[in-house]
Amino acid sequence: MPQSNNIKSKFSLFSTSRGNSELALIVSLLVVITIFSFMSEYFLTVRNLTNVLGQASIIMALAMGVAIVLISGEVDISVGSVVAAVAIPLVEIMNATDSLMLGIAGALALGLMIGAINGYLSAYLRINSLIVTLGTLFIIRGFVYLYTGKRPIADTGYLENFFQLGSGRFLDILPNPALVAGIIVIFFIFIMRHTRFGRRIYAVGSNAEVASLAGYNVRRLRFYCFIICSLLASVGGILLSSRLGSAIHTAGMGYEFQAIAAVVLGGVSLAGGIGSLFGVMLGVLILAFVSNGLGMINLPTEWQLVITGLVIIAAVALDAFKKKSR
Amino acid sequence: MTELNIADPTNTSVPVLSVSGLTKKFPGVLALDDVSIEVRSGEVLAIIGENGAGKSTLIKMLAGVYKPDGGTIAINGEVQNYASPADALKAGTKVVFQEIALIPEFTVAENIFLESHLITRIGTIDWPEIRRRARDIFERAGFALDPDAKVGDLSISQQQLVEISRALAHDAKLVIMDEPTSSLTPLEVRHLFEVIERLKSLGIAIIYVSHKLEEIFEISDRCTILRDGKWISTQPTSSHTNDSLIKDMVGRSIDDLFPRSERKFGDTVVQVDGLYTHNRLDNISFNVRAGEVLGFFGLMGAGRTELAKAIVGYDPISAGSIKINGNLLSPHSTIKSKSLGLGLLSEDRKEEGLMMDANVTRNMTLSALQKFTRGGFVNAAAETKTAQSFVDRFRIKLAKLGQPIRTLSGGNQQKVLLSRWLMYGLEVIVLDEPTRGIDVGAKTEIFALIDELASQGLAVILMTSEMPELLGLSDRICVLAEGKITATFETSNVTQEEILDAAIQ
Repeated sequence: MPQSNNIKSKFSLFSTSRGNSELALIVSLLVVITIFSFMSEYFLTVRNLTNVLGQASIIMALAMGVAIVLISGEVDISVGSVVAAVAIPLVEIMNATDSLMLGIAGALALGLMIGAINGYLSAYLRINSLIVTLGTLFIIRGFVYLYTGKRPIADTGYLENFFQLGSGRFLDILPNPALVAGIIVIFFIFIMRHTRFGRRIYAVGSNAEVASLAGYNVRRLRFYCFIICSLLASVGGILLSSRLGSAIHTAGMGYEFQAIAAVVLGGVSLAGGIGSLFGVMLGVLILAFVSNGLGMINLPTEWQLVITGLVIIAAVALDAFKKKSR
Repeated sequence: MTELNIADPTNTSVPVLSVSGLTKKFPGVLALDDVSIEVRSGEVLAIIGENGAGKSTLIKMLAGVYKPDGGTIAINGEVQNYASPADALKAGTKVVFQEIALIPEFTVAENIFLESHLITRIGTIDWPEIRRRARDIFERAGFALDPDAKVGDLSISQQQLVEISRALAHDAKLVIMDEPTSSLTPLEVRHLFEVIERLKSLGIAIIYVSHKLEEIFEISDRCTILRDGKWISTQPTSSHTNDSLIKDMVGRSIDDLFPRSERKFGDTVVQVDGLYTHNRLDNISFNVRAGEVLGFFGLMGAGRTELAKAIVGYDPISAGSIKINGNLLSPHSTIKSKSLGLGLLSEDRKEEGLMMDANVTRNMTLSALQKFTRGGFVNAAAETKTAQSFVDRFRIKLAKLGQPIRTLSGGNQQKVLLSRWLMYGLEVIVLDEPTRGIDVGAKTEIFALIDELASQGLAVILMTSEMPELLGLSDRICVLAEGKITATFETSNVTQEEILDAAIQ
């Protein structure tokens, strides 16, 4: 059968390229770093490189969550608003109790609630998750505006550990947010590769019917993915807030798309079931270093937007090409 | 789980599967009505019946996908109450569905343990153990599979072996195969049959569902026939003849599978000269007259589908010309071919023919929509009326025109596709494997339909790999081998041997 032969050869081509995709991302990252180190003498310094890791940490947390939801075959674009929303209970509770831990607990509780709503509507009621999370993206942002009156809520207690969380450095080198992001990355890479839960998410995203025949509770698995995503977005929100020292109503705007861009660039298929979190991490770092490098060579931020846009399209085109070759 | 469950073949007192009085109702239909069957260890029971006879309903209940409305399913004498497919598997029933239920991105080994990844003491996945057990199974079953290969890279027949390995990994006592050969090459079918023999020797009971009667005769020990959801008979297969099987399936004997009316040939409608494509076709020339059926026969990979797609402008050609009634097909596109009155009935109904979720009317009027449109608005009443007239004319079985096309049987879907082109008003129709996946009774109806179209003056180009279909329908036969026409015959004076001879050149 000639068709099946064609498909077969394409399949193997596809899988080879997939096996090499992480390598390709590592190479791309090194190329980006090399180019910018020639263009700016300040780029390749420990200070700058660790700064980039710090700056990337928030998108990193978001991207891990978005990637897990995408791998499960759904999508969550509400994360940008979650970032702004969770800062409110964080700062308010800290101001009232002088406890960072209670503030974080409040922030995570709100994130958990948002994730449960997204997950319930998408996974259990089977409403298209793009629409659900587009809706919650607006709704949450609206409530943030209403609550804050579009004014920042400052951290009035000046908690030292809150300041340290955002601006301190681990061993005087690595920014603490980067450390948090790194732990998250390693933890979820492990979960996705080496636990039943992780492998089941891949199976569900690849073919929900097959997964269901294998006895998986597809809805519950997807529900959990939305919760994880929202919790990770909350971590991103907490980190951002600790860097800013306040809850800001415009925080995290557009982050959802930066996260999705990084996720797709990192090799996660928009159709679900394909991609690794290690690749996603590389995707985030590439975008972060490109953005930092362009800043270093004094390219106006307007151009940085244009280039980020180009990278997003290139990444999605890559995804379409992958799907075609399947 | 490491031990393959080898049932004692001398212990035949309790059947592996015994189904009694199984009944399933769907709104408005009694899909399965009081069906009882038994399968014993090491036995192959074939289940045959036309589409809609209740085969898939029965399988889905055995697999735990549907819950029965009445009757019982017992495995080794124990009555089962499945809440999900996972329960059926636990009880020892593994279904190899037509649409293979594997995750293409996962390795062979991981797919085998998809239901429940083996884990280490600390709860992480035990990859070495998964690989080791997979290798064990391959060794016992005699499969040449690589545990680390990606399932998506495997052929369909290898994927079937993975499914069967999954059955072995779960100590399955009963393996159900639903149309397992529908996408296999003849060689792969041979391998599958060897695997089935192997499973039999392991004491596994097998239910084999197929449309292909030759396979039933070859592989099954007994044979159950279902019709309209009812049990008709269960007999040793050897006591059946081809005719008796068909008679029981359709409830009447088919004396003439291929009705043929007097055909009068008109002028040449299709003229193809020196056609080449990049990948396969090599200097193809032929012509077809009005009212004539030109059959193209070829083995796998001979280029039938490629030719069909090239003629209608779907696939690009590198040289040659196609003329319809003297008009050149140029530019080479389906838009142009449609305007010249040339259309293709694809072999792949689901992917290239039907909009599966759209209703019958939408599917039928797709090509002819212009005829019901005035000033940009579709006249729904006229559309429905015309659709209904085709439903009546072709005896398309459906509850209502508004039902999604996916709920129709394969034969009726094919009739809807034929209607689509006839409504548009074709002069030439290219049929690529028009009866693939269609059961015997409906096949006859499709044959009659094709005959009727030809007798009304349509030029028909028929691509087929089935010899009876070729001989029964065609007026002339072109044999394809490796993209070339190796012989052309008048059907009236050719033998099957001559055709095959030309096909394997």
